[in-house]
Amino acid sequence: MDSIPVVELHDVSKIYPMPAGDVHALNHVNFSIHVGEFVAIMGPSGSGKSTLMNIIGCLDVPTSGIVKINGMSTSDMKDDELTIHRRDNIGFIFQKYNLISLLTAYENVEYPLILKYGRHDTTTRTADLLRMVGLTDAQMQHTPYELSGGQQQRVSIARALANDPTFLLCDEPTGNLDSKMSTQIMELLKDLHSKGRTIVMVTHNPATAEYADRIVIIRDGVIVNE
Amino acid sequence: MSEERKTLWQRLYSPIVLSLAIRNLKLNKFRTILSMIGIVIGVFAICAMGMIGAGFTEEMNSMISDTADTLTISPIGEKVIDGTTTTGFSAKDLRDIESAVKSVTNGYDMIPMYSSSKYVYIGKETTMTTLSGMDSEAINTLVTLTEGTLPRGSTNVIVGETFAEDNDLRIGSRITMLSSTGQEVTCRVVGIMESTGMMNFGFSTDSAVVGSIECYTAIVGDNHGLYDKVIVRAYDPTELTAIDNAIEKKMNGKEDKDSDDTVYILNSYEIMEIFDEIMSMSTIFTTIISGISLLVAAVAITNVMLMSVKERTREVGILRSIGTFRSQILQMFLYEAGMIGLIGSIIGTVLALMAAPLFLYGMIGSIEAMLSVGVLMYVPIGILIGLFVCLISGLYPAWKAANLNPVEAMSTD
Repeated sequence: MDSIPVVELHDVSKIYPMPAGDVHALNHVNFSIHVGEFVAIMGPSGSGKSTLMNIIGCLDVPTSGIVKINGMSTSDMKDDELTIHRRDNIGFIFQKYNLISLLTAYENVEYPLILKYGRHDTTTRTADLLRMVGLTDAQMQHTPYELSGGQQQRVSIARALANDPTFLLCDEPTGNLDSKMSTQIMELLKDLHSKGRTIVMVTHNPATAEYADRIVIIRDGVIVNE
Repeated sequence: MSEERKTLWQRLYSPIVLSLAIRNLKLNKFRTILSMIGIVIGVFAICAMGMIGAGFTEEMNSMISDTADTLTISPIGEKVIDGTTTTGFSAKDLRDIESAVKSVTNGYDMIPMYSSSKYVYIGKETTMTTLSGMDSEAINTLVTLTEGTLPRGSTNVIVGETFAEDNDLRIGSRITMLSSTGQEVTCRVVGIMESTGMMNFGFSTDSAVVGSIECYTAIVGDNHGLYDKVIVRAYDPTELTAIDNAIEKKMNGKEDKDSDDTVYILNSYEIMEIFDEIMSMSTIFTTIISGISLLVAAVAITNVMLMSVKERTREVGILRSIGTFRSQILQMFLYEAGMIGLIGSIIGTVLALMAAPLFLYGMIGSIEAMLSVGVLMYVPIGILIGLFVCLISGLYPAWKAANLNPVEAMSTD
């Protein structure tokens, strides 16, 4: 593709020094994700897919190699700059939803907006996002504990979309859900993708990976198949 | 980037982070209250001790300062007159003292007086008092009468308010003393002197009986014309030490006091300063001792905050992953510590403001000093100390939370 990739990895390695010897979680990984793609990263446990996700998500930095988000290298970024990247460019959707238990569903979605703009959402964006993912107005005022797993993951998706990120980064988004709920969540992601959202999804579930239009398989820190 | 454009205030104050901090405190109400109690006790102890100490000093100073303008000069050296060894100030001594005073200032009163301990018979009661004799002008300068007139002649005296109350004396009452020749001399009380209070280092009127020189010599004798005491009152109390030094130099030949001195000078201004210093030191000492309770509270807060960080590690990881800055995590925990400190300190200070007057009233019978700046300054001091201690206590846990690795923090259950 001609456009600048949303995510670009050039010769990325991640080594964890251990007493028993260095662990090479990622070994000279090269790949890129472009605007509008729905990419599933698959691999068995310990393959390096979580490390890859953390590096793409600016939660971790590689030992060597270059990572570019929106064409900007994150390798030499300071913590504050990485934080801004996470806030503005990446929408996280976690397996365990990771909502803030102190806040209501509405406040959870509004939180990234407040972080970015320093004030409460005076528009209808927060409510619109929650309605779009299927929450009722009453459910918006519930805390995460008062919502089902599926509803929490919907809130999590709405939160990920709050700051209109460059891409959504999903870590086993259906891992804690039953099959019916999993299908609903995947349909929601598919719908977002059809509207132009770029989605990167880490999963070990082939049924979930089916929704992606590109599957990257990683094993022992190396991309073995695309 | 937007973060770099933020003002210092925007960096220090984050409403959403403050809101999270408040919710966290509310969520753990019991723990918050327990932490706060420690601060309340610590700030209360510091404030109350400080206020009581400052109030007591203030009150004592106001009592002393009324007489902090006085030098009381007593003779030490012996004189042999007509073959009799005695002590006292001769006319020459008085001239010497006055010339020494004049070398410093012209704004002074100098009152030479006779003074002696005497038994007084009032009805069937016998009591001991100090009988002083001085001329009418001196009495007028030295004492204030609450009622009656100045004593004139050899059988009229004025008595101190406390002496009058203790012995049920009023204008017209009679008291009897034995003269040096053993004769009973009965005097009429013609005036009551205003009390000068217990903290008096000048001429204390409280239990005194004062008569004219004629009255005094009729009862005690004239001691060869030697005065027992000289009181020098400076119009400007700050000149008192210079006057003291001048008299010491003139009468004792040097400014320093020692065993060869011929006169002893009691300087009420110096006494007030020494008293002030002692009280300030003791207030500081008791306040520091009270501070130990605040130190204990600080350790407890650090412990509670560390527990809180451990419990909320996952939450910190989530907040960091979705774009919360390290500085905002630091703020969140410092807001919590600060709120515990602020509310605890305000409660502690209010309690101290209620308790200190009770203690002061019990000690000195007055709460007037509570309104002085020296006492009220403990309100902001208490609040600031409490707040500061809490912020310092919360600093390490907050720093620890802010530096958690988001990935590791999120994987914590």
